[in-house]
Formats: sequence, structure tokens, C-alpha cells
Amino acid sequence: MSNKTTIALLGQPNAGKSTLFNALTGMNQHVGNWPGKTVEKKEGSFTHNKKEYAIADLPGSYSLTANSDEEVITRDFIASGNADVVCILADSSQLERSLFMLADYAGITVPCFLLLNMADIAKEKGKNIDVKALEDKLKIPVVLLSANNKKEYKSFYEALEKAVTNKTCLDSSRLEDAYSNLEGYNELKAMIPEGVISNYSSSWIASKALENDSVVLAKLENTMSADDYKKVDDIRNAVQGAVLTGGAKFAWIDEILSGAVDSKKENVSLGKLDRIYTHKFLGKPAVILTILLGLIMSFIPAIPIMGVGMAFGSLRVPVAEALTSIGAPDVIISLLCNVVIQSLAFICQMLGFVFGVTLIFGMLEEIGIMARVSYVFDNTMAKLGLQGKSVMPFLVSFGCTMGGTAGSRVIENWGQKVLTIALAWAVPCGAAWSVVPMLSTIFFGNGVFVVIVAILITMLLHMWITAKIFGRGLVNAENKYGMIMELPPYHKPKWGALFRYVLGRTKDTFLRVVTVVMLVCVVFWLLSYSFVEGSEPILFRIGTAIEPVTKFFGMSWELFMAFIASSVGKEGALGVIGALYNGQNFSGAFYEAMGGGGVAENLNELLAANVSKPQALAFIFAITFNMPCVVALASTYQEIHSAKWTAKIAIYYTVVALILAMIAYHVGLLIW
Amino acid sequence: MDKLLELLKDGHARTTFMLAKELHTTSDDIKRKLEYMENMGIIKRVAIDMPSCSGSCSGCVSYDSCTVPSDEKVNCPSCMPSQELLNMGEIWEVVK
Ligand SMILES: Nc1nc2c(ncn2[C@@H]2O[C@H](COP(=O)(O)OP(=O)(O)OP(=O)(O)O)[C@@H](O)[C@H]2O)c(=O)[nH]1
Repeated sequence: MSNKTTIALLGQPNAGKSTLFNALTGMNQHVGNWPGKTVEKKEGSFTHNKKEYAIADLPGSYSLTANSDEEVITRDFIASGNADVVCILADSSQLERSLFMLADYAGITVPCFLLLNMADIAKEKGKNIDVKALEDKLKIPVVLLSANNKKEYKSFYEALEKAVTNKTCLDSSRLEDAYSNLEGYNELKAMIPEGVISNYSSSWIASKALENDSVVLAKLENTMSADDYKKVDDIRNAVQGAVLTGGAKFAWIDEILSGAVDSKKENVSLGKLDRIYTHKFLGKPAVILTILLGLIMSFIPAIPIMGVGMAFGSLRVPVAEALTSIGAPDVIISLLCNVVIQSLAFICQMLGFVFGVTLIFGMLEEIGIMARVSYVFDNTMAKLGLQGKSVMPFLVSFGCTMGGTAGSRVIENWGQKVLTIALAWAVPCGAAWSVVPMLSTIFFGNGVFVVIVAILITMLLHMWITAKIFGRGLVNAENKYGMIMELPPYHKPKWGALFRYVLGRTKDTFLRVVTVVMLVCVVFWLLSYSFVEGSEPILFRIGTAIEPVTKFFGMSWELFMAFIASSVGKEGALGVIGALYNGQNFSGAFYEAMGGGGVAENLNELLAANVSKPQALAFIFAITFNMPCVVALASTYQEIHSAKWTAKIAIYYTVVALILAMIAYHVGLLIW
Repeated sequence: MDKLLELLKDGHARTTFMLAKELHTTSDDIKRKLEYMENMGIIKRVAIDMPSCSGSCSGCVSYDSCTVPSDEKVNCPSCMPSQELLNMGEIWEVVK
């Protein structure tokens, strides 16, 4: 072992250590574990110019601060003196960043040399690196090469030999000068004797102590008197040491690189679209407009599909006639026509919207627009007493409130989490975005677009008011949270994956909705079907009893029942409507209808004829802003662990939905 | 870098580009400093890979797959594929 020279490879992950290691050692390598750790240990050997070398691939880590096992292992290995020379790898295509390891090494007295890897990429990027200038500044050999090209290794061996024979040490004097301007550093350094950790200078140790390095601090605590250590503690606690030393290191790197590297200065500027989105005043309107446009665009594929659903719905009459002619019992006819066909027709009409909305929102996310949306609303979040990252649960809630609720998990502060969830409920979910446009199209035709705009505006107001109401008890305004968002570049959606997702989701929605709508429809049909001729069905009696109250909110009792059902899930409302507005009046009317042939051809027209526009508007607002669904309720409880707050939120939403319905009704009365 | 941290703490969202402009430096400079601060535990990355569940609120067919943490998650077909389709950029926040 003694006649072998040992090289240690030091570098950040992906610096190319393994590539170099493998190229140098070939088959002569051995892989094991570092004692007591699960970190991989790779050792090998090679011969060059009749000299034998042992080589150790140190675990890749960002720096030499004791933040992880990898870093501690690396440091201990260097301190142990096992390495005669350390080869520090850096990525030459991004030296400003990758020389950090070198800067962190400064102050360690083991001989070293610098390998600037990825020369090919640096060249591609138009970077010109003056190796000689770097050598002069650093006082160690510097090689520029591509580790994946063995032909270039000649310069590596030369640098290696030079480093070994001359025992070249990194010149860290300038960095130390910079350190000595930092608050607390000089006092710390003066207190630390040389040789606390072998091969590490006291200035290196002082800088690490300033950075709150746990291992260094423990070492100091063991070697120093309690009084002295107390002083160290006071000094480091007084400053943001890591920020200071980090700044000094980056400044040192820049100084080293200045004059040694010239690269074409990339003139980066924001794209036109981003200049609008990140604009102080234009940002919000631009983003809202984008979402609105997205929603409107999502209706385009939905409307033809709606036609298919309607056509399916008109099968009711011929089927009923056919069944009557073969003498099928009335119960069966009614069940088949009023429940099964009716429900399926509604579901078909809705599916187009599910497809459209999912597709558009998926696309907005994929392209990178959603990231801009969350960026733009960050400051608004702060005003609501929330953190910027609360935007994410809101965005997810456009798809599904439950997802949004679960997404609020990223918020640690309980009060903010509860508030986030409470607000996320106001965001109409995917089901609302399909049931609501569909019903709006039935009632208002092209007016659907106006309704959607009104809903979006109401949503924003709703969230604002809710934040004011709930916020007081949940969050305190002093909690400011900084946030940095790196906006992703715009890119084309991955169409394949996107469509697979949209189709999967549409199919899933279909299956679930069929169950819910059918179930609700059957229940309400049963309740509204008079099995005993001449008697009034239960539902009818309850309905007429509560009608005076429901009228107050602008809804007939049938719509009110649908509203209640929408608490289970928005699509539940369709089930109720299907059962209750089926073209016949209750009780005996069914028979008359069959006899008199008074069944309307088109269900949608029938619905439009039976419900006045103000009523329809009231109903639409009521179900949109009703509590999202039972599952969302359950997951809210699961996230916030408070039955009291869950109940509060649920009751609040039911009440607000009814108030909104009342307002919508009166606004409707003014219009029509 | 202390100026950078101050900006990060003031409660406003900024992109790295805006930070670079305010501090008269380059985005790359900001990015390497963010990387450093992340490694030093001064700031942390916000996980935006969140369960974005099925289209309607009645939950996925397999409701559980949306509530278990993402690393154990068996993606149900109607959930947003977590890796495949996310272009949300990166978010960091200052560790308190
Ligand atoms: N273009 C180019 N690619 C390189 C070069 N050197 C290494 N690579 C590639 O960079 C990647 C990372 O290299 P590794 O050798 O695995 O890096 P490492 O430092 O061992 O990384 P960890 O094992 O994570 O510590 C691999 O895909 C290599 O093929 C080079 O000089 N030029």
C-alpha cells in the first residue's frame, strides 16, 4: 500500500466521477460499503508510467458541510490522510455553479488538482476556458477534458503527476481574506487552535463553525473549555453564517473565473407572454381571461356530444310507446324511460364537458400556464393570510376538491391549512364544471358563457369574503412566507399521455356518475311514484309542504331536492331532476299522459318549459357553491382533524349557497 | 447573498428572473445560490407533486390511491399522472 499513491475523487453528483473512475481502473475495481454506512464505497487501482495508483471514488455530495452521511464520509476520508492527492471534479459547462466544491475545499491542506469535466459541452456552449490563468490563480494543476473520451486522458495523468510530486495545495488566501470581513469569523478563528481536525486548517474549521456544521461543532465542544465553547456558540448564533460564507465563496468563484472564462453572454429576457403574466396590473386579468378562454374552449368539444345525449333522451317516447303496445306494466315502462334512459341521456350530455374541461386544464398545466396562474395569485394569497403555495390546492380543486384538500398537506401551519381548505371548497370542481355548463346550456343556450363568467366572479368574491370571515380566527397576518417560483418554460403538451389521462378520467367519471345518478334517480323516482292509484306520493307531500320555504331561495321544491342531492355529489342533482321532471305530473298524471300522448319529445325543452329562468339561475348558483361532495367532506376531516371546523365549513357553505341562490333569483327576476 | 435572503423573506413571490433583476445579477447566479441555500437547509423546495384526483368529487374509483402519500401511490388511471404531466416549475420557500 505504501508505495502506491492514493487518489480520491471529489465532486458533486453527476460531475462524472464514476465515468472517470471506470475509465481509469477498468476491471480493477472493488465495490463495497463504507464501514457502518449504507453508502457505496468504490475503490480501484491502475498503473501509469510504471507507477501504481490506488483510487477511491468518494460519494458525490453538494458540499463538504456535514449535512448527510455522504459528506461526513468524504470529510473523514480526507482528514484520515488516506489520500495523497484529491482530484476535484467540476462541470466546465457551468463553472460558476460547480466550482462550489472547490471553494468548500479551500482550507484543506491535502494536495489536490482540479479536473474540469464535460469539456465537450462547455465548447458546445461557446465557453472558452483559460486553464493556465486558472492554474495561476489557484496554484494547483488544472485539466480540462471530457471524461467520456479516453483519448484526452494524457493531460489528466500529467496533472496528476505534477500534483503528486509538487504536493500542490489550493491557494485559499483570497477566500480567507473575504472570510475575515465576515462578522464573527475572526473571533472564531482566533479561538480555534490548529490541528483540531488533521488536514483541515483552522480557517476552514472556523468557517464551518460559522455555518453551524454539526460535526465541527461537536468536535469543538469536545476539545474546548465550556466557557470557550459558549463563546463559539454565541458568535455563530448571532449571524446567518451559512449565508455569509456562501456569499463569500461565490464571490471567490467569480473572482477566480473573471478573466479566465469568457462565454457568450446570454441575454436572457422574459418572453412576451410572461411579461404580461408577471406584470403588476395586467397579470391578474390576463390570467383570469386565460382560464375563462380555456373554459369556453372546453365547451366546444362538449356541445356536439351534448347533442348525442339529447338524441338519446328522445328515445324515451318511442320506447315507451313500444313497451305500451306489447303490454308491459306501467311501473316497468316508467322505470325504464324515466330513470334509465333519462339518466343516461343526462350523463351523456355531461360527459362532453368532463372531457373538455379535463383536456383544457391538463393542457394549460402541461404548457406551463398553470404555473403562471399560481404565480400571479401568490401575492393575493398573502393578502388573504395564506402562503403562496396555497394556490396549488386551489388549482387542483378545479379538478377535484378532494385532490385540493389532500394537496393542502404541503401547508404546515394548521390554521392556514384549514383556511386553504375552506377556500378550496369555493372553487367549482370538475363535476361542477360539467354539470353546471350542461344545465346552463339547457336553460340559457348561448347564455352559458355569461353564466360561467358570473360564476367565476362569484367564486373570487366568495373566496375573498370567506377568507375574511374564517381568516380572523385561523391565521395571523404577521406570518410572512417568502417564496420563489421558477416558472417552467412553455412547452408542447405530451399529447399521448394527455389523451390517455383525459380518456381515463372521462371513463372513470362516467362509471361513477352512472352509479350516483341512477341510484339517486331510482330513489327519487320511487318516492315520487304513486303505487296506489289516486294517492299522493310521499315526496309530493313533503315537497309541497316545504315549497313556501324553498320559494324563498328562488327554487321550486323539486329543484331544492336536487340541491340537497348535490351535496352528495354534483351529479346527484341530475338524478333528482331526471326523476322529478320527467314530463308527467305526479300521482295519477302518468296514466293520463300515456293515454293522452302528452309526453314531450325533448326532455331539455320540457325542463326549460317547467323551470323559469330566474329559478334555473338560482338553482345553478346553489349547486355550484354548495358543499362539493361527501367525499370532500370526509377528506377535509381527515386533513384537519377537527370535526368542529369541518362542520363549520360544511354548514357555512350550505348557507352561503342558499343566499347566493336567493341573490341570483332576484337578479334573474330583474333580467327576465 | 444576504440581500437575496431578505428578498425571499419579504412575503412576495418572485421568479428567479425577477430576483436577478432586482439584485443586478444573472438568473444563473440566483439559481446557484438557491441551490446552495437549499442544500444548507435555509430554503426548501415545495413538493408540488400533489395528488390531483379524479374528475369529480366523489373520488376515484379507488379512493385510497389518492390519499396515500405519493411515493406509495398506485396511480389510479384518472389521477393526474404525477411525473408524466406536470409543468409547474419549481417553488422554494424560506425555512422558518
Ligand atoms: N458529454 C459529456 N458527458 C459526460 C462527461 N463525463 C461524464 N458524462 C456523463 O455525465 C453523467 C454523470 O456521470 P457519472 O460519472 O455517473 O457522474 P458521478 O459524478 O459519478 O455521479 P454520482 O454517481 O451521482 O456521484 C453520465 O451520464 C456520463 O455519461 C463528459 O465529459 N462529457
